[in-house]
Amino acid sequence: MSASSEVPAAFRNAAGNPGPIALVRDGIADILSRRRLVRYLVQADAHKRGADTLLGNIWWVLDPLLQMVVYVVFVSIIVPRTQPDYPLFVFSAILPWKWFSASVTDATVSIVSQDQLIKQIQFPKIVLPVAATTAGIVSFAFGTVALGLLMLFFSDRITPWLLFIPVIAVVQYVFTLACAFLVAAGNVFFRDLGNVVGHLLRLWWFLSPGLYSLASLDDIRFFREHHILTTFANANPFAILFEAYRSVIYGTATAKPDGPPNMELLAILLVASVVFLAFTTMVFKRLEPNFAKVI
Amino acid sequence: MQLLRRPPKLGVDRATDGDAIRAADLGVRYDLRFTKKTTIRSSIGQMLGRGEVQKFWALRHLDLHVRRGESLAVIGPNGAGKSTLLQVLAGIIRPSEGAVEVFGHVSGLLTLGAGFDKELTGRDNILLGGAFLGLDDAVTHELLPSIIEYAELGDFIDAPLRTYSSGMRARLGFAIATSVDPDILLLDEVLATGDANFREKSKARVIDIVSAAKAVVLVTHDMSWVTEYCNRAILIERGELIMEGDPADVVELHRHNQEMARRQTIEEAEKAGLDPRIVRAR
Repeated sequence: MSASSEVPAAFRNAAGNPGPIALVRDGIADILSRRRLVRYLVQADAHKRGADTLLGNIWWVLDPLLQMVVYVVFVSIIVPRTQPDYPLFVFSAILPWKWFSASVTDATVSIVSQDQLIKQIQFPKIVLPVAATTAGIVSFAFGTVALGLLMLFFSDRITPWLLFIPVIAVVQYVFTLACAFLVAAGNVFFRDLGNVVGHLLRLWWFLSPGLYSLASLDDIRFFREHHILTTFANANPFAILFEAYRSVIYGTATAKPDGPPNMELLAILLVASVVFLAFTTMVFKRLEPNFAKVI
Repeated sequence: MQLLRRPPKLGVDRATDGDAIRAADLGVRYDLRFTKKTTIRSSIGQMLGRGEVQKFWALRHLDLHVRRGESLAVIGPNGAGKSTLLQVLAGIIRPSEGAVEVFGHVSGLLTLGAGFDKELTGRDNILLGGAFLGLDDAVTHELLPSIIEYAELGDFIDAPLRTYSSGMRARLGFAIATSVDPDILLLDEVLATGDANFREKSKARVIDIVSAAKAVVLVTHDMSWVTEYCNRAILIERGELIMEGDPADVVELHRHNQEMARRQTIEEAEKAGLDPRIVRAR
């Protein structure tokens, strides 16, 4: 049969593993050759979550807004004086964080939830975490609709710099994908990784400048006295991402957005994420042959 | 048919023409450390010295040779390594030892009936299945009508898979697996599914594939199927090849061994002071 795209002849033996570069190359080839499978999986995911129904859509838009309301109420109670236009300030972080946390959570179970299929069909397992991460783009897109609605209330902060969001999203996507490969492969071997990931994500959110600004950390004496903490806080990928989103959506406390985000930091994060992605691709491809046996 | 790479371990005296599958000194080892659902907690326990690293050979020293047009039955008791063998042939598991070479497109929904996604319709499942199997989109769309017709699903094709009966799911799985016109079809206990009507139909389909000079490797407990439709059979016990040859002879040995194993179980139970009737009834 000539129409099939499968390899017509295959030879497998117990011989050693390919090198790191070959593993990364195989991973990229897997994803590119199975683009359609990724697309189907993303569509199936959107379908299951009701994204293709009117009522489902409303929920996807409402969800980040409701989460924002919770945080605004919560922070207003414990902190007497918040940032001006605080709802928009918080939302600019909730929007990207929901994408990241949902993608990583879904990626964690993306392999083990397909255990039946993995035992039955030979296919590149790497498409599963790719699909989980890519499916998050759908919810991110609906989140931007919510952002549009919210901006109607803060119309004085609307600027063309909003168009920069996709650029920041690309950097976030690369970083998220790298994390997704790691947790997806790890969960095959350690089934309680999901619990750990859930708690780590929650901790990460509060350690990242989502509810507060990075600059406000300087007001805390403990941070002023321990410079290493400030360094760590600044090196957090989500500190860079949140600040970038915020600078194009919110601006500063006193002024609307008036320029691009810190491109230098974004570029550094992009390069670091690509390196990280290459590493996790290698780890994933190295562990992949064992999935069917372990799962 | 094209030979991509010559396997290093296979002898040159064997004919390469008309071969569908060749395996030499095949072995699959499981690391029991990971096969039971492991947790970080239990792994730390192991690292601290509790529990030993256990390895288990699901298959070992297996030499296999399947020619085109052959229908090979793999029989043996539960847990003998039959399904593992199919998984190796399908490329799902990489051999831990030895080599396997497969000439042609392999298709095999090894345990049919699982489907792809319960929430999607039968139609979407066919498209998704095609994508998982690595078929081109155009090919899948081309095959769509014939799969729907063959699976006899009627209007259910646009209903979610979760509303299907197990027979309907099995029919759909069989239809997808065989519609791709594979050179080598791997089937694991699929002939027992569906009603009598569909069983006849699936038998006819498998015979068609075999007669079209394609190879079939079949795992089954249905001995009448083995003697009637397979031209060769192998018996696997505890991961080792016990016998290879004419289906009738292999089935006879399998029946004999099963009977011996049963008697032994009863004897052991009697020695242990258990009521043999209970053991027999099992």
